[in-house]
Formats: sequence, structure tokens, C-alpha cells
Amino acid sequence: MEIKVTQEQGRVPVTVFHIEGDIAADTYEQLEAQAKQSIQSGASNLLLDLAKVPYVSSYGIRGISQIFSWLRDQSKGEDDAALSSGLRDGTFKSCCLKLANPSPQVLKALTTAGIDMFLEIHNDLDKAIASF
Amino acid sequence: MPHSLTFTAELKNLPVLRRFVSEISSKYQARREVIDGLIQAVDESATNIIVHGYQGRPGKIEIQMTLEEDSLVVRLWDQAPLFDPTQIPPPNLALPLEERRFGGLGVHLARHFTDQMTYQVTPDGNNELTLRKKINPNNPGPG
Repeated sequence: MEIKVTQEQGRVPVTVFHIEGDIAADTYEQLEAQAKQSIQSGASNLLLDLAKVPYVSSYGIRGISQIFSWLRDQSKGEDDAALSSGLRDGTFKSCCLKLANPSPQVLKALTTAGIDMFLEIHNDLDKAIASF
Repeated sequence: MPHSLTFTAELKNLPVLRRFVSEISSKYQARREVIDGLIQAVDESATNIIVHGYQGRPGKIEIQMTLEEDSLVVRLWDQAPLFDPTQIPPPNLALPLEERRFGGLGVHLARHFTDQMTYQVTPDGNNELTLRKKINPNNPGPG
């Protein structure tokens, strides 16, 4: 798996991971490590471009959820009670982690795992950047 | 004639497994969505055998793929401690994120992307997991 990192400017600065390759049990730690490094370097809005990701396994989904948790821990403005309630009733979407351009199979895996219950999934990279 | 692959139970071998499933499914002229779903189910199953079955101990996984009637059939054998993944309950996706267990997610995805998942203990006392997926889901078949 290769990850190219770019900085984009929407209403706020957005760090975009252009990922190439499968995100599975054999690679997800690389994604987590890159995300951790970016967050520690100050990134607070992260967009994962999945256009060149043929496959995401449950371990990849676990990695994406871990990144969500790190960004949430870093965010000071979110009310924990409201967040838990929003997650439970499906009204919460993360301000800080979003996904773009999943293939049909990747989208099916993400939605089957319930990732779309708390992460926005966009089909257009520019619109995804503008949505932050 | 079945197609077979044997590999050591290490995560680094998963790409070889995914390519094998893709290539054999393509030989049987399965549709893209069928191939992708089967790759997901086989990869999730093999990952569980490596991580939860062998738990880092050395071992082998043998896989066999064939076409039986209207379905692609994948059988996985391993010598890890006996474990029946079909007994894992589906994860409760309605739970708040913090309370979800990701342990059963792989089995949930494998089940979701196949038509049938069955388990049995072989006569020599090993695990055998069988995954079936219709090669042309829109074809009602004979009768």
C-alpha cells in the first residue's frame, strides 16, 4: 500500500491521504501509522481518498475507526453525551474524518460494517474537501 | 477440477490468497461483484484463522476452489485449534462505537458476501470452512 499525502485548502485546511492498494490485515497498520504521524504534526481534518483502493477488509475498517477515535480525542469541541446519543440514533457524522471515492465493493463493505453511520462518504474529491 | 493453494499462516501471504481467488473466479467467468465479494469472504476467513486460530504459531492453510453446479465453492482447511466461525453472532451495529466489538466483524462480512458458510471438523480432526457464492446471482437456474 502507498499513501501520498497532500494538503488542500477548503473552508479549513484538509489533509488528504491518496491511498493506493488494499487496506487489509497485512497493511492497515501502515495507514494507522501515517494517520498518527499526521495528527501529531497538527492535522485535524483528514480525508481518505479511496479511489485506488480495490479492497478494504474488517481490519482496514478497524483502522479507519481508530483514526476517527484519535481525531475525536483531539477535538475539544465535541460533547461526549451528545456524540454518544448521535452515534446511537444515527444523526452524528464526524467533522474531522471523511471518506471519498470508494469502489462499489469497498462501499458495500463500509456500509455493511456500519461505517457510514458516523462517517460521510463522498463520490467527488473536491466536494468532499469543501464539505469540511 | 479443483484449484488448490497452500500457504503458511502469515498475514504477509494474504495478497497471494486474494490474487488466487480473483484469478480462479475470473477463469470461471464470474461477474466482478461476485469476485469482489468472494475475495472479501475468503480474505476475512483466512485472516481469522491466522490471527485467532494460529495466534502467531507456525501453521498452514490449504484452500481449494471449484465450481459446483451454479456456485463457486471455496474450502479452507487448517490445523489450528478447533473453532466454528459460523457460531459467531452478528455484531450489534446499533451500539455506540466505543461499545462495538470488532472481533466478529470479519465473520459478519464473510457471511454477508457469500450465499452459504458452513463448518465441519474433518475426519483427521482439523477445521474445514466452506464458502459458497452463486456465480450468476440473477440466473434463477433450472426449474
